[in-house]
Amino acid sequence: MDAFLQHLVNGLVLGGTYALLGIGLTLIFGLMNLVNFAHGELYTLGAYATFAAVALGGWNFFVAVAAAIVVGAVAGALCERVLLAPLRDESIDTTMLVMIGLWIALQNAELLGWGGVAKSIPHPFPTAPLTLGPVGIAPLRVFVVLTALALIGLSWLLIQKTRLGTAMRATFQDRETAALMGVKIGRIHTATFAFGSALAAAAGALLGPIFLAYPSMGDLASLKAFSVVILGGLGNLAGATLGGVLLGIAEELGAGYVSSGYRDAVGFVIIILVLLFRPSGLFARSQRIG
Amino acid sequence: MRALAASLGALALLTLPFWLANPYHQHVVIMAGIFTILALSLNLLLGYTGQLSLGHAGFFGIGAYTAALLALSWEWPFWLTLPSAALTAGLAGLGIGRLALKVRGAYFVLVTISFAGVISLVSINWMELTNGPLGLPGVPPAELPWLSLRTKRAYYYLVLLGAALTYLVCQRVVRSRLGRAFLALRENEALAESVGVDPTRTLVAAAVLSAAMAGLAGGLYAHYTRFVSPEVFLFSYTVTMVIMVVAGGKGTLAGPVVGAVLFTALPEALREAMAWQWQMLAYGVLLVLLVFFLPRGIVPALRIHRVRAPALPAPSFLGEVSEGASTAPSERKMLTITDLSVAFGGVAALAGVSFAVRPGTITSLIGPNGAGKTTAFNAITGYLRPRRGRVSWGDVALTGRRPCEVARRGIVRTFQKTSVFPALTVRDNVLVGLHLRGRAGVLPILLARRAVREEEARLAAEAESIMAGVGLGHRRHETASALPYGEQRLVELAVALAAQPRLLLLDEPGAGMTGGEKERLIELIRRLRDGGMTVLLVEHDMRLVMGISDTVIVLNHGRVIAEGPPAAIQAHPDVIRAYLGAAARA
Repeated sequence: MDAFLQHLVNGLVLGGTYALLGIGLTLIFGLMNLVNFAHGELYTLGAYATFAAVALGGWNFFVAVAAAIVVGAVAGALCERVLLAPLRDESIDTTMLVMIGLWIALQNAELLGWGGVAKSIPHPFPTAPLTLGPVGIAPLRVFVVLTALALIGLSWLLIQKTRLGTAMRATFQDRETAALMGVKIGRIHTATFAFGSALAAAAGALLGPIFLAYPSMGDLASLKAFSVVILGGLGNLAGATLGGVLLGIAEELGAGYVSSGYRDAVGFVIIILVLLFRPSGLFARSQRIG
Repeated sequence: MRALAASLGALALLTLPFWLANPYHQHVVIMAGIFTILALSLNLLLGYTGQLSLGHAGFFGIGAYTAALLALSWEWPFWLTLPSAALTAGLAGLGIGRLALKVRGAYFVLVTISFAGVISLVSINWMELTNGPLGLPGVPPAELPWLSLRTKRAYYYLVLLGAALTYLVCQRVVRSRLGRAFLALRENEALAESVGVDPTRTLVAAAVLSAAMAGLAGGLYAHYTRFVSPEVFLFSYTVTMVIMVVAGGKGTLAGPVVGAVLFTALPEALREAMAWQWQMLAYGVLLVLLVFFLPRGIVPALRIHRVRAPALPAPSFLGEVSEGASTAPSERKMLTITDLSVAFGGVAALAGVSFAVRPGTITSLIGPNGAGKTTAFNAITGYLRPRRGRVSWGDVALTGRRPCEVARRGIVRTFQKTSVFPALTVRDNVLVGLHLRGRAGVLPILLARRAVREEEARLAAEAESIMAGVGLGHRRHETASALPYGEQRLVELAVALAAQPRLLLLDEPGAGMTGGEKERLIELIRRLRDGGMTVLLVEHDMRLVMGISDTVIVLNHGRVIAEGPPAAIQAHPDVIRAYLGAAARA
């Protein structure tokens, strides 16, 4: 039972960051109709940006995490303007190929820039775990899960309460009508991609210090983000949040009770099963985008 | 000229190992052959059916492991392990195809990635079977009872044979009825179904063939490198295949071959100059650049357009109708619709509609916009599952059947929005319409049986007579999307007529036609009826409707408000209030 609680807590920490990845991807997928295979690379970027700022620049850890998020947003906006805006009327296959190309290019650029050796990101938290009854949790993980929750809350506010969020929801529902109502679709796309990328970079900046930063870390992140999106339903923010937490917990339980070698199979199996039996996601009834 | 180039090419391929003395160069050529098979295999799915599989390394790896395990554990001879590799991968393709092809596009991509991911994890973790990450060393070399293929030179010929066979299989398939069905599904799935193409069966056939080819490549790879490890599942293999297909030209036969040779030779040539990370970086950038600057690939860009004979003057439009379209009176059946109800969310699009269409008549379904006319078409032909009610054709229930099954019973519909196979020629559009008139299966097509060739000749002749019948003969080699609007509507009609319907459902066939064109359309529909066809028509043009209909049914707010001969409908007070009143005053 104690082990079960421990798995649950660890799963929650992972799940919070998976939710960040998933929310970003579900917005991009749902609103831009773009299968963003480069999503994980923004996650990698977030981790390396934090590493560069803290280990090389000597910045404060918290400032570095914030900076990594900004870097993610800027990189996302740039990608959208340069690569995706000219292809807006192309088919989903075409843009998908571009994103596969970007994924390979970015990953190998990172490999060339940083080398293949994994980097550990220094952080200011004590390593001794806090114990809450039978469960132990490292202070860094507490920080990660709280920050993730705060960012999820902020995303929700942005989507539900701001003018930009309203325009995004309108575009998701009906692009043509939104455009007729004066929504600048081009800008919404840029904003969405930048926002989703910022969330992915945030997930990388948060998980990087727990694990390590290495060039191919984004591959699994992308797949997990896709599992979360599929679990939660396309463009479904609440679904992505719940899906992220569920995936984190399922992985921890799978690794704990089945075999740690198959930890990453959990996401794959979820993709296959959900697509085959509930293609609109587990939480299809809940409101889409928010 | 072409024949000369082909024989020179064949000669070069056959003598290649004697030109290349360096074993390393021979190695590169062998790998190019294996990748040619892989690229051809991926192209069958990506290029022809339009479905991108990012799990192809999975099929390749299954083939490699099958060959290695059978040779190592059971000591099967090479001539058995190689076909087994293809067979096992083909079976995996059958399983994945049946599951994954319920979804399309991006979702199909994700299921295939996940499949390859799971298989790769199994190969790492199932120590007893696969020896885990250490892999299986010492796979025996290729030996036949009377021939050793141990040397690179001998193996080159084996791979060449494999690649040639794969190419031949692809060529036969894509030029057959099956290949046209692939293209039709890629271009316009709804239209393909309306003339009887079964999407699931067709796409699964493509997945099985494609997976088996990838498995063959895996088997060849295993006996060549003589070592198989979980690295065979590496995603970079799949990416390499995608780049080869996209760069060479997807949906062409030569494209994947060109792409595979180029992208095996190029990295090897650059090996001295750049580290492989740089190469992978270059691959990524190249893929982006290709999409921007050469989206259709190298082969289509190089293709020289043959100069065609000047177009003949257009024959009289809607001239003759194919005699094949007539129906014997004994086959005439009544379409009966009982209490049909369809709801979208809370809105009832059809609320208990009942009517019958008498055989050999022209019946029109009219009503204001949103009355439920197109919804009725969709429910009758299987595109929509009604919430309640029955549709029957004679004594056979159609409710709950898929569109392709409905089409098989001789019921063919057209679409309100112009719907053709845009990238196919007019002739190929019509040939897809003739899908149900052929019956060639996968095996006879692969064996190029005489019956298949005769069937093709017969279908080609029928296509010619249908094109001539609707006045599109002079356009036969033009791409459908390049035709003007009115002629695209004719293509649509030709596709539907090619399917030889007994009941033809026309959804606003006159929309966008000029007065003269409409006159001829009326003429054509009359002639179809006189030939024995039953016609159900949705149309807004009252002059057209009242001019040709035997019966008019009026829908309003999802209910039938009147039914009768045109004269009675024109005088019907409810109809005048709901619909004609406004139109009459206009």
